[in-house]
Amino acid sequence: MSPLAPYADPQYFAILLIALIPVVVGLWHGHRLRLWESGVALVFITWMFAGPHKWHEGVALVAYVIWQLALTQGFARYRRNHNATWVFVLAVCLSIAPLAAVKLTPVVALHPSLLGFMGISYLTFKSVQVLMELRDGTMKAVAPIAFLRFLLFLPTISSGPIDRFRRFQKDYDAVPERGAYLEMLGRALHHILLGFLYKYILGYAFGTVMLPQVAQAAMAAHGTSALIWPLLGYMYTYSMYLFFDFAGYSLFAVGISLVMGIQTPENFNKPFAAKNIKDFWNRWHMTLSFWFRDFIFMRVTFFIMKHKLVKNRIRVSQVAYLINFLIMGFWHGVTVYYIVYGLFHAVAIIINDYWLRFKKKHRQSLPHNRWTQALAVFITFNVVCFSFLIFSGFLFLNRLL
Amino acid sequence: MDIQKTVFDILQDLTGTDFTGSPDENLFETGTLDSMDTVQLLLALQDQLGITVPVSEFDRSEWETPAKIAAKAASLQ
Amino acid sequence: MKRRVWQIFGPLLIAAGLTLALFLAPLSFKRMSPAAVRSASVAMSPTVLAGARAKNQALAQGAVPFFGSSELSRLDPFHPSALAARYHRNYRPFLIGAPGTQSLTQFINAQTMLPKLRHKKAVFIVSMQWFTRRGVMRQAFDYFYSPLETVTWVLKAKDTVADRYAARRLLCMRAVRKDRLIKSALLQVAAGQKLDRPMRLLLEARLTVLHNEDGLFSHFTVNPHERELARSIRQLPAAATNQQLDALAAKVGAAHTTNNDFGIDDRFFSSRLGEGRLAKMRGKQRSFDYRFGPEYSDFELLLAAFAKYDIDVQFVIPPINAKWASYTGLSQAKLHQAVEKLRVQLQGQGFNRVLDLSRDGNRPYFMQDTIHIGWRGWVRVDRTVAPFLAAKRQPVQYHLNSQFFTKSWRDAVVSGK
Repeated sequence: MSPLAPYADPQYFAILLIALIPVVVGLWHGHRLRLWESGVALVFITWMFAGPHKWHEGVALVAYVIWQLALTQGFARYRRNHNATWVFVLAVCLSIAPLAAVKLTPVVALHPSLLGFMGISYLTFKSVQVLMELRDGTMKAVAPIAFLRFLLFLPTISSGPIDRFRRFQKDYDAVPERGAYLEMLGRALHHILLGFLYKYILGYAFGTVMLPQVAQAAMAAHGTSALIWPLLGYMYTYSMYLFFDFAGYSLFAVGISLVMGIQTPENFNKPFAAKNIKDFWNRWHMTLSFWFRDFIFMRVTFFIMKHKLVKNRIRVSQVAYLINFLIMGFWHGVTVYYIVYGLFHAVAIIINDYWLRFKKKHRQSLPHNRWTQALAVFITFNVVCFSFLIFSGFLFLNRLL
Repeated sequence: MDIQKTVFDILQDLTGTDFTGSPDENLFETGTLDSMDTVQLLLALQDQLGITVPVSEFDRSEWETPAKIAAKAASLQ
Repeated sequence: MKRRVWQIFGPLLIAAGLTLALFLAPLSFKRMSPAAVRSASVAMSPTVLAGARAKNQALAQGAVPFFGSSELSRLDPFHPSALAARYHRNYRPFLIGAPGTQSLTQFINAQTMLPKLRHKKAVFIVSMQWFTRRGVMRQAFDYFYSPLETVTWVLKAKDTVADRYAARRLLCMRAVRKDRLIKSALLQVAAGQKLDRPMRLLLEARLTVLHNEDGLFSHFTVNPHERELARSIRQLPAAATNQQLDALAAKVGAAHTTNNDFGIDDRFFSSRLGEGRLAKMRGKQRSFDYRFGPEYSDFELLLAAFAKYDIDVQFVIPPINAKWASYTGLSQAKLHQAVEKLRVQLQGQGFNRVLDLSRDGNRPYFMQDTIHIGWRGWVRVDRTVAPFLAAKRQPVQYHLNSQFFTKSWRDAVVSGK
C-alpha cells in the first residue's frame, strides 16, 4: 500500500470527505461523533505512514506522541504543587529535543534522523504551547485523550495551521447550531475550492511549470552580468509559488476543519498587500508568526523588561526581534540560508521600526496619500520577495553568489 | 482605586492618546498597540495594580479595546 | 434553510454537472491547420507523441510515420523531413520518437494510429541501444506515457500471447501502476480474462474524457525544430541526385567535424565530451551487450501490430560510430550477434524490408556523432526509403511466431556471420 499524502491530489479530498460524511450528518443533527472522528483520524494517519519507505516515520510519530504525552502529564502533575523555573525550562527543552535532533542531524550526518516524521515541527509547537500554558496556570490540567486529539487533529497534522489548545477544545466541546453549521459548511466549500485554485492551478503553474524554466535560465546566465534578470524572475516566481502552494494547503486545512465543526485559525490574509514588514507578519503564515509573537517575542520582552536587563525600550524590542527571528530561522532548518533569512527579517523589522518612529515624529511634514501607500506596499512586496529568494536557497545551493 | 482610570492612564502613557472618549476603539486593528506596548501594559498593570497577567492569558480578542482591558483587569484583581 | 443549502451547494453541483457533461460529451474538434500539422510532425514532444489528435490528423492528411528515437532530432539538411520538403516528395514524414522512446512506448503510443495505417506504409528506425538487459528505461517510459493510447489498447485487448505479454509489461511501469482503473484492467488482461462489463463502461467513459482533454488542451506552438528544419532546407540545392547529395553531405559533414578525430559533430563533441569528459569514456562500454533482454519481446509487440494491420514497414538499423565504439571498448562481435538476432526475428516472420547499416559505422560522415546517424547516413537511408515510399504499395505476407514472446528467445544467442 502506498502512503497517503495529505492534500496532494483531489483524490485525497474524495476519500476524506466520504469518510467524514457520518461526522457531517452527526453535526447536522447536533451530535459530535467522537468515536467515529477518532477512528477516521487513526485510519488516515496510519495510511499516511504506510508502505516500505514511510513506516519508520510512523514509528517515530508514535514514540514522539508518547514522549510528549508523558512530558505534559508529568509537568501538569508537578505544577499542581510546585513552580520552579528550572523544571519548566527542562520540560520545554525535553519537548523540543526531538525536533532539535531532527533539525541538527543533517548538519552532522549524511542520513536524516530516525526520529523525524512529516509534521514534527507543527506538533512541537502545540506541545510547547501546552507546557507554557500549564506554567502560566491558564491551564490546570490536560486530559490525555483531549491532548492527543488536539495534537493529532487530522486536518492540520502535517503542516498546521497551529491552533491553540483552549481554543480548539472550546470548538470541540460545542456543537454548532444547524444554521451556524450550514454557514461553516459554506465557508468550508469556499476554502476548499479557493485552495484548489491556489494549490493545483496557480501553485502548479508557478512551481512546476515556470520555476524550472527560470531556474534553468538563471543557471545559464551564471557568471554573466545578465544574471540579474532571470534571477529576478526566479525571485518573483518562487515567491508566488511559495504563497499559492502554502496558502492553498492552509485553505484546505481550515476548510476540512470547518467540515468537522472546528474553526481552525486562518494562516494568510493577503500578505502581499502588507504596507510594512510588521504588517506582513500579521498576514503571512499567521499562526506561526502569532505563535512566535506570543511565546517567544512577548516572553523575551517581558523577561528583559521585568528584570530590567536592558533599559532602553527600543533596544529591548530590537534584541527580542533578533532572538525571535533567529529562532524562526533555525526552526526552518540549520542551513545558512534559513538563518540568513531570519536575520534579514529581524533587520528589516528593526529598520521598519526606526522608520515608523521617524514618521510619527514628522507626521505633519510627510505626505500620506494613496500613492505613498502604494509605494509602501510595493517596497514591502519586493523586500519580502527578496527574503524568499534567500529562503529558497537557490543562491546558495547553486553557488550563484 | 479606580481601575478604569488607572488603565486609561497607562494607555495614555503608552500611546499618547486619551481613550476616555473612545473606550471601544480596537487598539490592535488600528495599530495603536503593538506587541511591545502590550508587554509594557502588562508590566504596568503588575506594578500599579498588582495584577499578574500571564502572557498565555493574553488572548487578543479579550483585550482589544480600552474598555475590555479595564474589565479584564477588574476581573483579575 | 433549504434555500440556504441550495445557495451554498447549488453552484457547485451545477458546475460539477457542466464539467462532467463537457468531458463526457462526444465532442468533435475542428481540423488542425496544415501549419499546425507541419509543426507537430517535427515537434517530437510528449504532447504530440502521447496525444492522439496531431498524429491522426497528420495521417489523415497523408503523412507517413517515421518511428525512431533520438536520431530523429538530428535535423541536418539530409534528414528525411528536409529532403521530403525540399524535393516535393509524394510523402511528408511525421516524426514519432525522441530520446528515450523504445519499443514499448512506440507500441502503446501507436494504438490510435494503427487503424488509420491499415494497408499503408511506415518507416521504422530501430536502434540497437534499445536492446539493453533491462529494456525500456522506466523514467523515459513514464515521461512519454499516454493514458489515452493505453486505454485504447486495453479496450481492444484479447486473450492472446501478445496481449497478455503487453499487459504484464505495462504493469511493470510506475506511471501505469499509479492509475487504479488502468491497473486493474491490465491485471484482468494479463490473467487472460475478458474485461468485465462495469470495467469496460468505466474505461469507455475514461476514453471519452481523455479524447476531449486531448482535443481541448493539446495545443501546438512553433517549436525550435521547425526553425532548425527551415535552416536545413535552405542549404539544399534545388535539384540533386542521390550521388550529388552524398557528395554534398560529405562536404557538410567535413565542415562540422573539425575539433576531434572521431568524426563527431563539433558542437556535440565540445558540449558532451569536451573538458576532459572524453577520457572518462575510454573502455567504458566494454561490458555493453545488446543481445538479450525484454526489448526483443517488446519489439515483437510492434511486429504483431504491424502484421495485424497489414502495414508495409521499411526497417532501418543504424550503425554505431566505429571509432567511438573502439575507443569505448564496445564489442563489435556482440553487437553483430545482436543485429543478427534482430534480423532473424524480422525476416523470420516476413519483415523483409530491412536496411541493415550496422556495418557502416566506419564510413566517413555517415554518423553525426557517437550513435546517431547523420549527413551521408541520412542520404543512404534516403536511397532506400524514397523509392519505397514512391512505389505502389505491394502486398506483404507476414507469418507471426509467438516464440518471440518467450524468455528462451530473449535469452537466446544467435551466432553472427
